[in-house]
Amino acid sequence: MHRDLKSISAQIVRWIMLLYAGFNIAILIYVFYNSLRPRTDFLTNTFGLSTNLSIGNFIEIIVKDGFFRYCLNSFLILAGSLILSIFLSSTVAYGLGHYKFKFKRFWKTYFLIGLMFPIQLSIVPVFLITKQLNLINTFTSVILIFGSSISMSVFLLTNFFANLPKEIYEAAVLDGAGEFRTFVQIMFPMASPVVFSMSILTAVNIWNQFFVPLIFLQSDAKKTIPLLVMKYTKKLLMTIDSAFAVSILATVPILILFTIFSSQILEGIAEGGVKG
Amino acid sequence: MITFFKKRPYILFLVPGIILYTALIIYPIFSAMQLSLYEWNGIGPKTFVWIRNYVELFTDDFLMSQFTNALGNSLKLFALTVFIQTPLQIIFAYMVYSKMKNHRLAQITIFAPQFISTPIIVFIFRLLLDDNVGVINNLFRIIGLNALAKPWLGVPELGIFFMYLMITWGGIGVGMTFLIGAMNMVSVDGLEAAYIEGAGYWTRLLKVILPQIKATIINLILIAYIYAMTMFDFSYVLGGNTGGVGGSIDVMALFFYRIAFGDSNPVGGKISSNSIGMGTTIACVLFVLIFAISLLQIIYMSKSEEDR
Repeated sequence: MHRDLKSISAQIVRWIMLLYAGFNIAILIYVFYNSLRPRTDFLTNTFGLSTNLSIGNFIEIIVKDGFFRYCLNSFLILAGSLILSIFLSSTVAYGLGHYKFKFKRFWKTYFLIGLMFPIQLSIVPVFLITKQLNLINTFTSVILIFGSSISMSVFLLTNFFANLPKEIYEAAVLDGAGEFRTFVQIMFPMASPVVFSMSILTAVNIWNQFFVPLIFLQSDAKKTIPLLVMKYTKKLLMTIDSAFAVSILATVPILILFTIFSSQILEGIAEGGVKG
Repeated sequence: MITFFKKRPYILFLVPGIILYTALIIYPIFSAMQLSLYEWNGIGPKTFVWIRNYVELFTDDFLMSQFTNALGNSLKLFALTVFIQTPLQIIFAYMVYSKMKNHRLAQITIFAPQFISTPIIVFIFRLLLDDNVGVINNLFRIIGLNALAKPWLGVPELGIFFMYLMITWGGIGVGMTFLIGAMNMVSVDGLEAAYIEGAGYWTRLLKVILPQIKATIINLILIAYIYAMTMFDFSYVLGGNTGGVGGSIDVMALFFYRIAFGDSNPVGGKISSNSIGMGTTIACVLFVLIFAISLLQIIYMSKSEEDR
């Protein structure tokens, strides 16, 4: 079918893509190599070969800065937000997709509104609410904000639940299972592929979120990885050794995970895109 | 009470979502609209000023120049995405879709920067473009083109393009993957028929595939528009509160942030007594800018749904 992939133009595009991919790998190696060099070595002999490689920069970030605390912060926020958003979006979507009731159209549209109003814009009122609840500088505030942004997930899952055959539900109810048990034990597990692909996209977004943590997490002990990285990359040459090391620490583990699970992740995202 | 919920089990499923979603997504939109009618900085007295904030935003030279500059930059980002990134994504997706040799490797490595956070992306590009330690300048020096070696990130006119390069490098993979998903849904029969009729590799993309993945492309363009209007982190990390030298990489969301939260900054000082009022005013103008385009999209989508 695609035998004409051998055409010159297709081959040129292919080589451009492979060069691009090669560039991405090279830059990662470049950052990794330099993360092993002391600052003066890098600054005086930027492109020379170093004779002085050590893991000192990493130890500094991990021991002196407590890098793992920032990891834990990022991870707690991610886990909390994901659990909350999966719970909220799947229950809402099940309610909207499975049952028939008055004003269903209204509620469907209601949950779509969030797609058009990104959280950045309504951050001032959200900030005032969290301030009143004394939640500034807590993970709870950030988790609540991320966990409530469920428009996209509700949209995807509602269609899924609406298209599930009713017989499965009826069989479960005949067996005497209550509404909630039917949902937890039978209907929700059937949606897990959709939930998975949805969660991957949400997780990437939350992990790299910069704006909301910047505003809501003000003390150093609560900051997330992107905010720690910013501390070192801001003044480029003064702290460049730490900047290299922290970039590697914050990037490489995630990239390894991504490479291992890449087929599931990429397929999940591809499917999510088609339905959205 | 129990029989009421027994008859209407959906209520129990909907309530938790409705409460949190209303409190943190819907209510703040209306609250922002209301706050934009007040002169307030969050602590002091709150005076109702009707639409005076809007009048001030559009008549005050100092605010208006920042507004038009930021909006212009946001629109530039959007235009660059539509005219450069989207076509690239389509071509790349098509190559992966048709399973060129090493397509897996290419897809994974092109997608990977998605997992790198903004400050690190900015750092990586600084390593390439910096005057002293930058790779590109040193390459120029090695091949004897010393005149071309410049502090690239310090050139205001180029700021927005370099920032765009960073955004694209970090984010090209998601749209590309969406498009691959859409291409996988295209029926093979039509493609085969076109192939037998002699349509070349790229002709099949243009004539057979593109018309069938129109909805995904339009979706990507809308996402790009909303992104350009609300993008904050690259501008902030690269150019700080003011959005670079002379606001060269200032964007709408950063302008909003500077007015609403940037009190410590001399630029925000002028209207710090009205930071919340003016901040929400800018947010509401942004609401309208996003809503108008989203509405167009929704009308178009429901129309094409009827056509089917």
